[in-house]
Parts: sequence; C-alpha cells; structure tokens
Amino acid sequence: MDLSLYSLYNDFKSKKILLCYSGPISQTSVEGVGNTLRRNLEIEEAGNITSISVFSIFVEQVQNIINYSAESINHEEDMDNELRVGVIVIGKEENDNYFVYCGNKVYNRDIARITSLIKSIQQLNKDELKALYKERRRIEPDPGSKGAGLGLIEMGRRAAKPLGYSFEEIDGDYSFFSLKVEVGR
Amino acid sequence: MNNLIIEKTHSTPGIVFDTETGVLEIKGESFPENVPKFYGPVIEWIKDFLNSTDKEIVFNFEISYFNSSSSKILMNIFDYLEQQVSEGKNISVIWRCDHENESAVECGYEFKEDLDLLPFVVEIY
Repeated sequence: MDLSLYSLYNDFKSKKILLCYSGPISQTSVEGVGNTLRRNLEIEEAGNITSISVFSIFVEQVQNIINYSAESINHEEDMDNELRVGVIVIGKEENDNYFVYCGNKVYNRDIARITSLIKSIQQLNKDELKALYKERRRIEPDPGSKGAGLGLIEMGRRAAKPLGYSFEEIDGDYSFFSLKVEVGR
Repeated sequence: MNNLIIEKTHSTPGIVFDTETGVLEIKGESFPENVPKFYGPVIEWIKDFLNSTDKEIVFNFEISYFNSSSSKILMNIFDYLEQQVSEGKNISVIWRCDHENESAVECGYEFKEDLDLLPFVVEIY
C-alpha cells in the first residue's frame, strides 16, 4: 500500500527517535514543540539538568534555523513574515544519552566560518567554554547577525561530547548542514 | 512616571516595575525570537526611571530558563546597572532560583562573577 507512514514510523521507533519536526519553522514551533518535549522528558524522568539541557539545545538549534537557514518561504511583498525551513530530530543513543540533531541549507560561502567556529568549540574543555561564553556575551554581535552568536558555545557547554557536524554539497550555491549534540543522562 | 507592567508569555517573562516601591520584578522564562524587540522598551524604561530618581531600587530576577541571546541582553542590563552604581545610585539585584533548578543557580553565579560593584545576591529557595 502506497498510502502509509508505517515504515517511516517504524524507522523512527527503531532509531529511538522521540520527536521529529521537518519543514517551515517559526517561534510558535519553538514554544509549542518545546513544551511537548519538556513534558515528554518529565514523564521519562530525565532529571532536571538533562531536561533543561535538551530543551536549551533544542531552542538554540531551532532559533539558529529561524535566523540562518538559507531556505525560506515568503511572499515578496511581506519579507518580515518569512518562514525558514529546517529539520530537528530528538532521540536517544544506545547508551540512553539524548541527542538533539538539526539540519538546514546553508550558503557555501558560509561553510568556512561555521566550520572554524565549531572546530574552535570542539577543542575547548568546559572551563574554557565557560570563559569563552562569558567573553562573547559582552562583545557586540557581528553586524548582520540576528542572534548573539552564543548559541553554538551554549550547546558545547551542555554537550556530553564534542559537537558533531557535516556539510553535504547540494549545488554551487548551497550545502546541507547537519549538527548533532549529545546530552548525558 | 508610569509603572511598567508586561504580561508573561510562553517565551517572555512577566514584568512588574513599581515606581512607588522601587521594586522591579522580572519573572518567567526568556527565549523570544527577537530579543532586542522585547527588551528594548524595558531597558528604555529602566534608564528613564533611574534618571528620574535617587531612591533605593531592588531588582528581583526570577528567570528559570533563558536562551543565549537573552543571556547577552541580561549581561548588558547588569553592566548598565553596575555603571549606575559607580555613579552613586543605590541599586541591588536579587537573582531568585529554585534549588532544584541547578542550571538557573549556576547562571546566577556566572553573572555575579562578572560584576564588581553591583550588589548581586543569588537567593536559592
């Protein structure tokens, strides 16, 4: 039968995926899906620090998509109400750690900048990340940057192991960026 | 000057700034889409109020969760208050947090570590 999501559903189940959101994303998604996620973590008795870390990484990832995804949906006459497109997946590893995974299109010209930022975060220990976080939150944001640029450092601080990422080239202008953050239980 | 009262939402804290008592409360969670849009008018109100008075002012912050861009604007507010204290204003900040919310407790201490002159108390309940 063609009309069935059962195989997709089973695939998610077997990969221990709690929640998946794909498509246009807005602040309302952050609040609504985020609220459901928190209730889910509460039922699973994930623990306060784990719950807030998973929720926090989810918020930073979704807001990164809203601010930086290179794929958007809009009316030409209404640019302020555009929606950005991305995918978010939250699930569990074999060892029961949580993972928060996001993906979106980026411009090829931004790959070098994103890569060097993630690599610099991967090399730092928790104390160094804390120092970098405190230093960066006092620096004015880059012109053209809608976020504070702190989101990735925040994710690094809450992660159980270094941030995982990849870029897959789509064409001469775009690549697909994936970012995975693991949270200990 | 009018009091500032803003109802809390899913992603922005509730605000009750009372000019009469000098107690300014910010309570809730903070992860708005556009941080400057929410906090801009709040900061303007604080600046106008501090320019109009020399009375003792107590800020009660009780923010159980905030995102990274809110963190930056909160630091900006504390830096501004610290500068006001250095100019002789009587201002203190109480950072209230639930003892079960270790993350909020830690965030309070991280702000405190970065401030010298501004009286900043982390109050755990």
